[in-house]
Amino acid sequence: MSSIYICHFLLFFSVLCAAFSVNFGDDTTDSYWLLRTKSEFVDPVGVLDNWSPRTSLCTWYGVTCSDDQTHVMGLNLSGSGLSGAISPEFSRLTSLQTFDLSSNFLSGLIPPELGQLQNLRELLLYSNSLSSNVPAEIGLLKNLQVLRIGDNMLTGQVNANVGNLTELRVLGLAYCQLNGSIPAEIGNLKHLQSLDLQKNSLSGLIPQEISGCIELQNFAASNNRLEGRIPASIGKLESLQILNLANNSLSGSIPIELGFLSNLKYLNLAGNRLNGEIPSELNQLVQLERLDLSKNSLSGTINIVNTHLKNIEVLVLSDNSLTGSTPRDLCIPNSSLHQLFLARNNLSGNFPLGLLNCSWLQELDLSDNNFVGVLPSGLDKLENLTDLLLNNNSFSGTIPLEIGNMSNLMTFYLFGNMITGRSIPVEIGKLQRLSVLYLYDNQISGTIPRELTNCSSLTAIDFFGNHLKGSIPATIGKLKNLVFLLLRQNELSGSIPPSLGYCTKLQNLVLADNRLSGTLPPTFRFLSELFLITLYNNSFEGPLPESISLLKNLSIINFSHNRFSGSVFPLSGSNSLSRLDLTNNSFSGPIPSELAMSRNLTRLRLAYNFLNGPIPPELGKLTELNFLDLSFNNFTGELAPELSNCRKLGHLLLKNNRFSGTVPPWLGSLRELGELDLSYNIFNGTVPTELGNCSRLLKLSLDSNYLSGDIPPELGNLNSLNVLNLQRNNLSGSIPLTFQQCKKLYELRLSQNLLNGSIPPGLGTLSELQVILDLSENLLSGEIPWSLGNVVKLERLNLSFNQLTGEIPQSLGKLSSLHRLNLSNNHLHGQLPPTFSGFPLSSFLGNEKLCGPPLIPCSESKGQERKWLSNTAVAWIIVAIVFTSTMICLVLIYIMLRIWCTWRKISISSSDNEDLGNNRGEEKWDFEDEVRNCDDWNMNTMALVPSQDKQIFAFSCSK
Amino acid sequence: MASPSLFSFFLLPILLSLSPTLSTNSEGNALHSLRSRLSDPTNILQSWDPTLVNPCTWFHVTCDSNNHVVRLDLANSNISGSLGPELGELKHLQYLELYRNNFGGKIPMELGNLKNLISMDLYANRFEGKIPKSFAKLKSLRFLRLNDNKLTGSIPRELTTLSNLKVFDVSNNDLCGTIPVDGPFGSFPMESYENNRLSGPELKGLVPYDFGC
Repeated sequence: MSSIYICHFLLFFSVLCAAFSVNFGDDTTDSYWLLRTKSEFVDPVGVLDNWSPRTSLCTWYGVTCSDDQTHVMGLNLSGSGLSGAISPEFSRLTSLQTFDLSSNFLSGLIPPELGQLQNLRELLLYSNSLSSNVPAEIGLLKNLQVLRIGDNMLTGQVNANVGNLTELRVLGLAYCQLNGSIPAEIGNLKHLQSLDLQKNSLSGLIPQEISGCIELQNFAASNNRLEGRIPASIGKLESLQILNLANNSLSGSIPIELGFLSNLKYLNLAGNRLNGEIPSELNQLVQLERLDLSKNSLSGTINIVNTHLKNIEVLVLSDNSLTGSTPRDLCIPNSSLHQLFLARNNLSGNFPLGLLNCSWLQELDLSDNNFVGVLPSGLDKLENLTDLLLNNNSFSGTIPLEIGNMSNLMTFYLFGNMITGRSIPVEIGKLQRLSVLYLYDNQISGTIPRELTNCSSLTAIDFFGNHLKGSIPATIGKLKNLVFLLLRQNELSGSIPPSLGYCTKLQNLVLADNRLSGTLPPTFRFLSELFLITLYNNSFEGPLPESISLLKNLSIINFSHNRFSGSVFPLSGSNSLSRLDLTNNSFSGPIPSELAMSRNLTRLRLAYNFLNGPIPPELGKLTELNFLDLSFNNFTGELAPELSNCRKLGHLLLKNNRFSGTVPPWLGSLRELGELDLSYNIFNGTVPTELGNCSRLLKLSLDSNYLSGDIPPELGNLNSLNVLNLQRNNLSGSIPLTFQQCKKLYELRLSQNLLNGSIPPGLGTLSELQVILDLSENLLSGEIPWSLGNVVKLERLNLSFNQLTGEIPQSLGKLSSLHRLNLSNNHLHGQLPPTFSGFPLSSFLGNEKLCGPPLIPCSESKGQERKWLSNTAVAWIIVAIVFTSTMICLVLIYIMLRIWCTWRKISISSSDNEDLGNNRGEEKWDFEDEVRNCDDWNMNTMALVPSQDKQIFAFSCSK
Repeated sequence: MASPSLFSFFLLPILLSLSPTLSTNSEGNALHSLRSRLSDPTNILQSWDPTLVNPCTWFHVTCDSNNHVVRLDLANSNISGSLGPELGELKHLQYLELYRNNFGGKIPMELGNLKNLISMDLYANRFEGKIPKSFAKLKSLRFLRLNDNKLTGSIPRELTTLSNLKVFDVSNNDLCGTIPVDGPFGSFPMESYENNRLSGPELKGLVPYDFGC
C-alpha cells in the first residue's frame, strides 16, 4: 500500500520536476545536463552563449555529437577563458569519449564522479588551477587512453590504481605538487607511450617495473626528488626516444644498459649526483641528437665520439670532474654538432683541434678548464660559431688573426688566460655581429686597434687587467650600441676622445687605474644613460664641464686620485647618486647643498681636496648616508645639528680640517657609528659623556684638538672599542677607572694631556692591548701598577715624561711581546727587570736612580758597599726590626691597658672596641713610620719576590 | 638542457653585469670568500660590501696608505666556520687576529704565503690538524699564538728558522713529539707547551723529534 503511494508520489514529483525544468529540457538528455554544468562555469568571454535550449545541442560551442544527434561524444572547451569549477554533473554525459577543459582558469576539485564516464578515452584538464588530490575514481576509466591533468595545483600521491588504466597511451602529470613515489603499478601500462611527471615533488626510487611499459617513447621525470640508481631495466624500453631525468638526486653510475636504447634521441641526466665514468656504451645511441650529463660528478675522460653519434647536435658535459684531453674524433667532418659545452671540468691539453671539424658548431664553451697552448689559426673553420667561450684556462700566445673571418661571432670570452701578443688583431674589426668581447685578465700589450670601432654591434667591452698602451681610439664614438666599456688597469694614456660622448647608450664607463690625462670632454653631456663612471687613479685634471649636471642617471661616481679642480657642483645634478668618491683631487669651494637631493646617497668621500666652508645643514636630509669622509680639507665652522638626522652614519671622518666649537653631544645618538675621527681640528670644550652611547664604536679619535676637562667615565661603556686616541689635548683629571671595561681595546693613546693621578691598575686587565699603550707627557704620578705585567700582547709601552715614582714592577719583565718601551723622564728608581737589557738606553733616560743593563750596573751605584750584604746580615736586620716592633707593641699594649684600667675606673659605659680600633691604627702608623726611616722600602715587593728584593732593599736603604 | 636561448638570453646578461667586479680587488674578493665560509651570529661582517673598490672601509679591516689590507681583527665575535686558501691572497697582512672564536677545521697552508705577517693570533678556537710547515716562510713573524685549539701532530722543525719569532704559544692542544731547541725556540718558556702530549726538549741524535706521534 505504502509502496504504491510512494510510487505515485515519485511519479507526480518527477512530472512536477519536468514541468519546472521545462526550460532546461528533458532531464534524461545530454543538453539538460550540459546546461546544468554551464551554471558552474564563469564565462567572461561568452563562449557558452549559444548553449541554450532554443538551439540544437549539436550546434553548441565545443560539442561533438553522436551520429544520431542525441548524445555528446566530445566536448572541447580548451582555451576558452573559463573559470569557476568543473561540475560533477559532467558525469551524466555517459557517451562522452573526449573531454577537454585544458588551458582555462578552472579551480576546485577534479570531481570523483568523472569516474562514471565509462566511455571516456581522453581526459584533458591540464593548465588550470585545479587543486586537491587526483581522485582514485579516475582509475575506473577502463577505456582511457589519454590522461593529461598536469600544470595544476594537484597534491597528494600518484594513486597506485593508475595501473588499472591499461589502455593508457599518454599520462601527463607534470607541473603539479605531487609527492610520494612513482607507483610500481605504472609498469602495467603496456601501451603507454608518454609518461610526463616533470616538476613535481616525487621522491623515492624510479621503479624498475617501468620496464613493463614496453611501448614507452617519452619518459620525463625531471625536476623531482627522485633518488637511488637509475634502474638498469630502463634499457629494455626499446621504443624510448626521450629520457629526461634531470635535476633529481639520482646517484651511482650511469647504467650501461642505456646503450640499448637504440631509438633514443634525447637523453638528459643533468643536475644529479651521478658519478663514475661516462659509459662508452652510450656511443651505441646512434639516433641521439641531444645529450646532457652536466652538473654531476662524472669523472674519467670524455669517450663520446662523433663517429658513432652521427646525429648528435647538442652535447653538454659541463660541471663535472672530467679529465684528460678531448678525444680527437669528438667531431667528424660535416658533423651536425651545434652546441658543445665542456665548461667547468678538469680537462687539459691543447685546444682540441678535432673540434675544428665541427663546422656547424654555433656555441662552444671550454671555459674553466686547464687547457694550455696557443689558439689554433684554423679557428676560423668554425665559421658558424656565434658564442666562443674560452675563459679561465691557461691559453697563451696571441689571438689568431683568423678570428676576423668568424663573421657570425657574437660573444667572445677569452678572459682569465695568459694571452700575450703585441696587440689585439685589427682583423677583429671585421666582426660586424660581435656584441660581447671580454679579454680581461690577460697580458695583452700594444694598443687598442682603431678598427675595433668598426664592430658596430659591440655592446660590452672588458679589457681590464692587461698591458694595453696608447690612447683610446678617437673613433670610439662609432660604437653606438656600447653599454659597458671597461678598460681598467691598463697603461692607457692620452685624453678621453670627445667622440666617446656619442656612445649614447653607455651605462658603465670604467677607465680607472690607467695613465689617462686631460679634462673630461663636454660631449659627456650626451651620455644620458650613464649610471656608473669610475676614473680613479689617473691624471685627469681641470674643472669638470658644467654640462655634466645634465646626467640625471648617474649613481656611482669615483674620480678619486686625479687632479680634477674647480667646483664639485657639476656632479650634484643627478638626484640618483648613491656613491660619490672624489678623494685626493684639487677640488675647491664649498660642498653643494644640492647633493642632498640624492636621498639614496650612502657614501660621500671628499677627503684630500681644498674644499672649504661649513658642512651644509642640508646634508642632514641624507638619511641613508653611511660613510662621510671630509678629512684633509679646509672646512670650517661648527658641526650642524641637522647632521644628527643621518642615523645610519657608520663612518664619520672629519680629521685635518678647521672645524670648531664643541664636540656635539648628538654624536651619541648615532648608534650605527663604528668610526669617529675628529682629530686635528680646533674643537674645544669637553668630551661629551653622550659618546658613551655609541656602543658599536670601534675607533674613536679625538686627538690633536683643544679639548679640556675630565675624560668622561662613560667612555668605559664602549665595550666594542678597539682604538681610543685622545692624545694632544688639554684633558685633565685622572684616567677613568672605567677604561678597564673596554676589553677589546688594542690601541690606547692618552699622551700629551694634563692627566694626573696614578695609572689605574685596572688597565692591566685589558689583555688585548697590543699596538700601543701611550700615556706619555702627562702629569701621572704614583707607581707603575704591577698589573701592567698582564698585558702580555703589548708591543709598545710609552709612559715617558710623567712623574712616576717607585720601582719598575718586575712583572713588566714578563711582557714578552714588548719591543718598544719608553719609561724615560720619570722619577723611577731601582733595578730594571733583566729582560729589559735589550732595550736602548733612551728607553730609561731621565730616571736618575735606575740601574741595571742597559744602564749602569747596580753594583756601581752609591749603594755598592752595602749591596753585597750577606744573607746573615739581612736576617739580622729583619730580626732586629721584628724585635723592635714587638717591643713597641708590647709597650703600647701596656700603656693601653693602663689607660683602659684608668678609664674603667672613671666610666664603665665606654666602648671597648672603638678604643682598641683607634689604638691599632696608631700602632700601624708607628710601624709605618719606622719603615719610612728606610726610604721607599716596600714590604709587599719584598714578600713576593724574596731573592731579588733583598738586593733592592739593601740598595734603597743605603741612601 | 642548456638550450642556446637560455644561455645567450639569460646567462649572458648575468655574466655581463658581474664581470666588472669579478676579477678586480683580489684582497676584497679573498675576504669576501672568507666571509662566505663563516657563520657570523653577531653580524660584525655586515659592512663587508664586495662591490666597493677595495675592502679598506670595511669594519674590522685595516689598510695601509696603498690600500692594502694590513690588519684583520675578528677576535671575540662568536664566529664559526673554517678558513680557506684565499686568505693567502692578503700578501700585505701584518696582523691576523682571529682569537677567541669558534673557527674550526684545518689551518690552511696558504697562510704561509703571508710574507709580511707579524702576528698570527689563532688562539682559543677549535682548529684541528697540523701546524702547517709553510709557516716557516713567515720570515717577519714575531708572534705566533695557537694555544687552546685541537691541533695535533708535531711542532714542525721548519719553524726554527723563524729568526724574528719572539712569542710562540701552543699550550692546550694535542701536539706530540719533542720540543725544538734550535733558533728562537731556545728562549720560549715552558708554559708555551703546557697541556699537550709533548715529551720534553729534543734530544738530537737520540730520538726522532716526532717520536710517539
